[in-house]
Amino acid sequence: MNVVRKFSAARLLMWLILIIGAVLSLFPFFWMTIGMTLNPNDVIRGVIKPGSELSLNWTKATTNYNLGLFFMNSMKIALLTVFFGVIVNSLAAYGFEKYKSKARERVFGILLLTMIIPSIAVVIPMFKMFSFFSLLNTPSAIILPSIMSVFIIFFMRQNFSMFPSEIMEAARVDGAGEMVTFVRIVSPSMKASFASAAIYMFLGQWNSYLWPLMTIMSDTGKTLPIAMASMMSAYTIEYGALMIIVCISVIPVLILFLTMQKQFVAGLLGSVK
Amino acid sequence: MNKRGSYYRYLNRFGWLCITPAIVFFLIFMAYPILSSLYYMTRKWKGASNTFVGLGNFVRMSGDSFFWQAVGHNFIYMAIQIPLMILLALLLAVILNQGIKRLRGAFRTVFFLPCVTSLVAYSVLFRILFQTNGLLNNLLINSHILSEPIAYLANPFWANVTIILALTWRWTGYNMVFFLVGLQNIDTEIYEAAEVDGASKARQFFRITMPLLLPVILFSAVTSTSGTMQLFDEPNILTTMGGPANATMTASLYIYRQAFVTNSDFGYATALSYVVVLISGIFAYIQIRFLGNRGEK
Repeated sequence: MNVVRKFSAARLLMWLILIIGAVLSLFPFFWMTIGMTLNPNDVIRGVIKPGSELSLNWTKATTNYNLGLFFMNSMKIALLTVFFGVIVNSLAAYGFEKYKSKARERVFGILLLTMIIPSIAVVIPMFKMFSFFSLLNTPSAIILPSIMSVFIIFFMRQNFSMFPSEIMEAARVDGAGEMVTFVRIVSPSMKASFASAAIYMFLGQWNSYLWPLMTIMSDTGKTLPIAMASMMSAYTIEYGALMIIVCISVIPVLILFLTMQKQFVAGLLGSVK
Repeated sequence: MNKRGSYYRYLNRFGWLCITPAIVFFLIFMAYPILSSLYYMTRKWKGASNTFVGLGNFVRMSGDSFFWQAVGHNFIYMAIQIPLMILLALLLAVILNQGIKRLRGAFRTVFFLPCVTSLVAYSVLFRILFQTNGLLNNLLINSHILSEPIAYLANPFWANVTIILALTWRWTGYNMVFFLVGLQNIDTEIYEAAEVDGASKARQFFRITMPLLLPVILFSAVTSTSGTMQLFDEPNILTTMGGPANATMTASLYIYRQAFVTNSDFGYATALSYVVVLISGIFAYIQIRFLGNRGEK
């Protein structure tokens, strides 16, 4: 009897921990949805009942702050980065893994070595470079440096190593060129890995802050993180409209996570940040 | 034979072709900035012109107590936040793996959810929640836990607590997923055998679970360390430019401010960034030695 009671007390404690954890995890999301409908004072005070200013806040976010433009900037930059990044990195990973040579292994080693260099050390000289070519304040300034990712090359290389080389041999016997083999035979069977890589790159670019903060100088070029951060440093902060922008910035990632949870987690688990 | 040789050359050429685009990007956006930083770090900017100062930036750095304090803050976050987060993540993972199996998937999804917010978005949310007249204080006062509001973002001690709490909120679930995967890879037969031998649950945890999970815990500590060394978004937004009075200033933020806000001295900022590279390099070396040796066993 005593054993049973002790056992259930432990279970109760475990449930309690899980539920407290879940409430703490979810609360900011719940609160930010409520915040969209409140006036600035109620957001600050932490009213947690829905208010009636949703449409007013929406109007402020879209007219005073150009939410639509910021969203499109963010989306355009992230999607272009993913598009070029997936091609460049997966091709490189394929080259490193399926056409091994001593020289290329050495190149790969150098790439891996640079993974330990923190971004702050690269962005300052890179700023000078972009300023020399007058490319600051353009979408290219944000897209170009993010295309090549050593982590994605590393991640894709591990995935390609699981692809049987015999199938490539069979394709060669059938007379397929190397590029055709990669595009038509290898890639289609690795959709999940490509999806993980694409999600990882999308997240990195969608959320990036430090480099855009250095390069974006005009209001029309702002991405969502830059817009949110600059709203926070304004003299009067429109908290209701800000909550809408925060929500909008979270929604695409949330959708990606809920619909492709497996690939999402696979991509993140290998991440460095 | 000759034919095989030319075919080999063809494959080798194709291999180079595959990696060429990535290498071009690497040379322009990684190798060149690193090389040019060797030039920048010997110079001092004053307005638009700059002059050669040799190792002057490093001499200046040695007397820059604000910078070393900032590096110290990075270390404080590493020493306090990472163990706290790993313990919490471990607790949740063990409960979900062994204690309570019902709704495991749902809880895992919920705990992972903070990761979908960008660093900027959650910094903004936490800055509003932790205002002196904000939700958290009102909640604590209304439930009579506090009688006076705490100035979380204006008091140096509480600002650091806030950063640590925010980081823990954002990353605990992420690390928990690591641990959960690690726990699920442990063969249940080991526990059954331990059960037969009469080992208690606690003993099973410390003698079986912990040693087998150690590589995963180490990996997670390693990635968290490198992330914490680069902390930038949170101190810049959540506690407003490393405030109050530089209490939450981090190395990356200090370097950024040297280059873009306070002095516009790219030379000095570049020299400072070498310190961060050096620290990251030392950590990486320790990790490779440590994890590498484990792999050989």
